[in-house]
Amino acid sequence: MTDITDIIRFRSGNAPLALRWPTQRFLVRVGLHVLVAVLALMVLLPFLWLVQMSLRPEDEIFSDAVLFTPTLENYRALWQGNFAGSFLNSLAVSSLSTGLSLLLGVPAAYVLTRWRFKGRARVALWILTTRMAPPIAFTIPFFLAYRVLGLQDTVWGLALIYMTFNLSIVIWFMQTFFAAIPESLEEAAWIDGCGVWRAFWLVTLPLAAPGLAATAVFCFIFSWSDFFYALILTRTNAMTAPVAIVNFLQYEGWEWGKIAASGTLVMLPVLIFTLLVRKYFVHGLTAGGLKE
Amino acid sequence: MPGTLSWEASRRRAYLTGLVPALVVLAVITVVPTLFLAGASLTPLSLVDPASLFDFSNPLRNYAELLHDPRFLGSLVMQLQLSALTVTLQLAVGLGLALLLNVRSSFFEAIRTVFLIPMVLPPIVVALIWKIIYTPDVSPLHRFLDFVGLPADSFITSASTALLAVAVADTWQWFPFTMLMILATLQMIPNEPLEAAKIDGANHWQTFRYIIFAYIRPALIVSGLFRLIDSFKAFPLIYVLTDGGPGSATEVTNYYAFVQAFNFSYWGYASAIAIVLLTGVFTLSWAAGRLGWNGDEGE
Repeated sequence: MTDITDIIRFRSGNAPLALRWPTQRFLVRVGLHVLVAVLALMVLLPFLWLVQMSLRPEDEIFSDAVLFTPTLENYRALWQGNFAGSFLNSLAVSSLSTGLSLLLGVPAAYVLTRWRFKGRARVALWILTTRMAPPIAFTIPFFLAYRVLGLQDTVWGLALIYMTFNLSIVIWFMQTFFAAIPESLEEAAWIDGCGVWRAFWLVTLPLAAPGLAATAVFCFIFSWSDFFYALILTRTNAMTAPVAIVNFLQYEGWEWGKIAASGTLVMLPVLIFTLLVRKYFVHGLTAGGLKE
Repeated sequence: MPGTLSWEASRRRAYLTGLVPALVVLAVITVVPTLFLAGASLTPLSLVDPASLFDFSNPLRNYAELLHDPRFLGSLVMQLQLSALTVTLQLAVGLGLALLLNVRSSFFEAIRTVFLIPMVLPPIVVALIWKIIYTPDVSPLHRFLDFVGLPADSFITSASTALLAVAVADTWQWFPFTMLMILATLQMIPNEPLEAAKIDGANHWQTFRYIIFAYIRPALIVSGLFRLIDSFKAFPLIYVLTDGGPGSATEVTNYYAFVQAFNFSYWGYASAIAIVLLTGVFTLSWAAGRLGWNGDEGE
């Protein structure tokens, strides 16, 4: 294992000097920490600015004062307006889409892991490619179909189109988790007289529970964060929180405190959930990952 | 065991029951719409003429028109500029930070998490954050510029800076992705070649150029391709910050398709643009697959 001093020695390039004077080595180390901390603060500044704006009293939004008495007034105003409704819509659509995707996707992922049928690789690849398609390609057909089917501006309609990305997320993530569970456990259950799905339910699924939870969280986050589909497929009835933010911007563009509060509320669940699934994060973003 | 089915046969049946519903639903919500899109792109379908959905009399009319539509051709140029700009910036910033953060200590591990925040924020919140930054009244950036005596107009209202302003916001959101991918690769570099280089008297730059770079090159290419593919889908930032403007200074292809479909209701024409985008994205995905992105890890 390389320890920190090795790396700094390697970084500073003049190893002999750094070795001779421990103080210099120490200074490089402190400097590096300070530099990284300052960079982190700079990167976070835009984000922190939004949060502090949401806590400012209405008459202090444009003031230069660094210190102010934080207030939850903006949040209260939001909650009494229409925002609460769109927040609940977001919750409903995201939960519904996550639930449906897990219901269909988890068994499919299990079969794709365990059953080595011909064409399996091709099916798996097709499922993955659906995720690469630009949303506009799905939006036009869905928009036209929903006009006819009466699914426009409904929670169900939005939950269904979110499955275009959620299903492939579930199938891809769960395959990795199922692959890590030894088949011999299921075989033992089969010998004891369990059918395939009974063994899956009693043996495999409990063992994959942490992976299942992480997958559910990812589906929820992706659905929650969607803006494009919701913008086009909802109007008032099923409007989600991200669309409500944009409406604020367009029609109440001077109420910056309220707007900032709505943004903070929308990102809060995502930040909390992300902390929960930190471990699976890299994997989740690359869906398949790099060849090693 | 009742029945005449052998264990193998009943197992296969059980597997089919698990797999088929998901595949059918996925086909209905992805393959059918794509086929519909391809079909619609061959018709003059629009809000004023919904019956023309079956009018295939001049199937290539939309594509022929695209070739002579200056707004579409302009959107391609915008798209290429935006993609090149964002991918380059994200790779540069991501690589720099990854090299800086590649230290095993609890402080650096903790701070890595902080750098990931922009990437996990909902895109609409990122757009809102940058709308605030580019609105002089409430912007910390403009306050700072005023303070140092360099007052500036909003960067999103000028045609010459709007695209760059969007690219900067997009980079802020997505540099953590390239950073993460590169960091993960950096941590897999074995010690021996680095030691050997040191013994051979390689200087700092040579070690980076010939050893570290060789190891992270695949990660650079793949994360660059990932970001390139995603850059074709950029929407919330443009919608909130510039609405494609000023003029058409930030109207990229995806945005133009959106405008044609949902502002003008020229669905047939918009479908043709979407098919062009789809083709581009799939070509790049295929290239990404060939270059080492493991599409079938479950094997």
